[in-house]
Amino acid sequence: MESLMTVKNLTKSFKENTVLKHISFEVYRGEVLCILGPNGAGKSTTINILTAALGSDSGEILFRGNKISKQLRAYKKTVGIVPQEIALYEELSAESNLRFFTSLYGLHGSKLEEAVTQALVFAGLDDRRKDKVKTFSGGMKRRLNIACAIAHHPELVIMDEPTVGIDPQSRNHILDSIKKLRDQGMTVIYTTHYMEEVEVISSRIIIMDHGAIIAEGTKESLKEDIENEKRYTIEVEENGKIAHDEFFAIEGIKTVNIVGNTIEIATLKGIENLDRIIALLCDGGEKIRNITSEAASLETVFLKMTGRKLRD
Amino acid sequence: MRSFMTIFKMDMRNLCKNPVLIGFNSIFAALLVLVMGFLSSGNYANSKDSYQYYMVSLIIYGMLNGAMTASNCFMERDIKRPNLRIIHSPAGGFQIYFSKILSSFLFDYVLHVMILAVLCPVLNLTLGSSPIYFVLLMAPIEFAAAALGIFFCCIFHCEETTSTLLSTVISLMCVLGGTFFSLDGLGSAAAFASKISPVKWMNNAFFSISCDNSLIYFGPVFIIATILSILLVVGCGLFFRTEDYL
Repeated sequence: MESLMTVKNLTKSFKENTVLKHISFEVYRGEVLCILGPNGAGKSTTINILTAALGSDSGEILFRGNKISKQLRAYKKTVGIVPQEIALYEELSAESNLRFFTSLYGLHGSKLEEAVTQALVFAGLDDRRKDKVKTFSGGMKRRLNIACAIAHHPELVIMDEPTVGIDPQSRNHILDSIKKLRDQGMTVIYTTHYMEEVEVISSRIIIMDHGAIIAEGTKESLKEDIENEKRYTIEVEENGKIAHDEFFAIEGIKTVNIVGNTIEIATLKGIENLDRIIALLCDGGEKIRNITSEAASLETVFLKMTGRKLRD
Repeated sequence: MRSFMTIFKMDMRNLCKNPVLIGFNSIFAALLVLVMGFLSSGNYANSKDSYQYYMVSLIIYGMLNGAMTASNCFMERDIKRPNLRIIHSPAGGFQIYFSKILSSFLFDYVLHVMILAVLCPVLNLTLGSSPIYFVLLMAPIEFAAAALGIFFCCIFHCEETTSTLLSTVISLMCVLGGTFFSLDGLGSAAAFASKISPVKWMNNAFFSISCDNSLIYFGPVFIIATILSILLVVGCGLFFRTEDYL
């Protein structure tokens, strides 16, 4: 894979608070790189530094092998940014917003008009092009917010939580659009809290916490890394006939958690012991009502890596 | 240059679509002259003098309040967000704040000149034998006020703080400078306090032009306002940080 951007050793502090601690990563051409992390992990600071709106204390960013600080104007021309907030003029029409923001990237005349129309079609807003933004729903505004970032056909699109607070239809539309952008060869850096979005669109994932990168890879490789155990949830009719410790006689069992009529068992991956668990329950006189086994989801990976403690 | 013109046109368009700013800088300002002129007409031998005094002094007050127009178009909540997108574009920082200064200046200047153009013939008031000097002197003051508004925003990073501070400072300078009533009759201490207010110097300059047909203060006030404008624009460049928009 060809590297489009290299981030080396970025650090950033706000007064005493260090929000980025020597983060380094690559962005490859044509991929959708998702940056995940709880609140305060440093995602937005990273994005703000990548967009050149915020300076870093140390470290460097190379775009196509050159420092972005040395070619800032050229870099900005090739990047499209979707800010977290809806950054549109509410009193203007969708078309006027697009025309204005796209013209800042040097497009004019027929090229500008063509780009505006393409972006409106892309956002599914062609039929509302003359309407003022203030008359739009939240989802439509979000779609236009993205359209304004991609109308000038950037090489790299940086999206900071672009689907916050919208309906499922608009979210689907946006996710489909991102896949289309990827298929067209655009590179996308995408931050979000929504794991299901990452499952759908990501080529690669970076998980951040406390200003550092704690994991990086494809969703499959991340799951693989933590998936050294299997979880069974067993519902029984009347619990209490088998003692907690009896389960540990079975090979591979790591933890047993009994809550009411539900028994949660974590067992080492690769050891087939479900038949012995069932046999233990049946021999003990338990009537099994339901058994489910849970594969690791991205959310499991995320929570495992960042912990379950609430963040501000 | 093309992107500067694009941003400038958009800023002008936004200002011209803001009914509050249009009303404050036109109808409200004119009404204030009429009300204050009418209420104080008993204090003057000729009621026309009362209107003449308040037309000049309140136009100066309006010009200084142009700082608030600038801070509004630079960092007002609904404008700030699209401004963020301009920051992300290749346009660059200078074009952003200079466009706001220029558009606020033009917006206020045109409205204030229009008020004078209406009030003078309607109330039979005068801008002096050469009104062009009066109008010309307004320009650097309006520009300095707009630059001051943006400069405060660059320092305090917030429109609300800027507006609160500026309105307090401007009101204080105007009260001291005799915008609403002259302090000269309130004793030597009040008269001295009045003299240290720049508004007093502006009053002197504009009254000299309009009432005495004298240009004695024109040069110094024009030059000082121009130098102040340049310094404030440079100051904006030094203190403007794109991260203030994040």
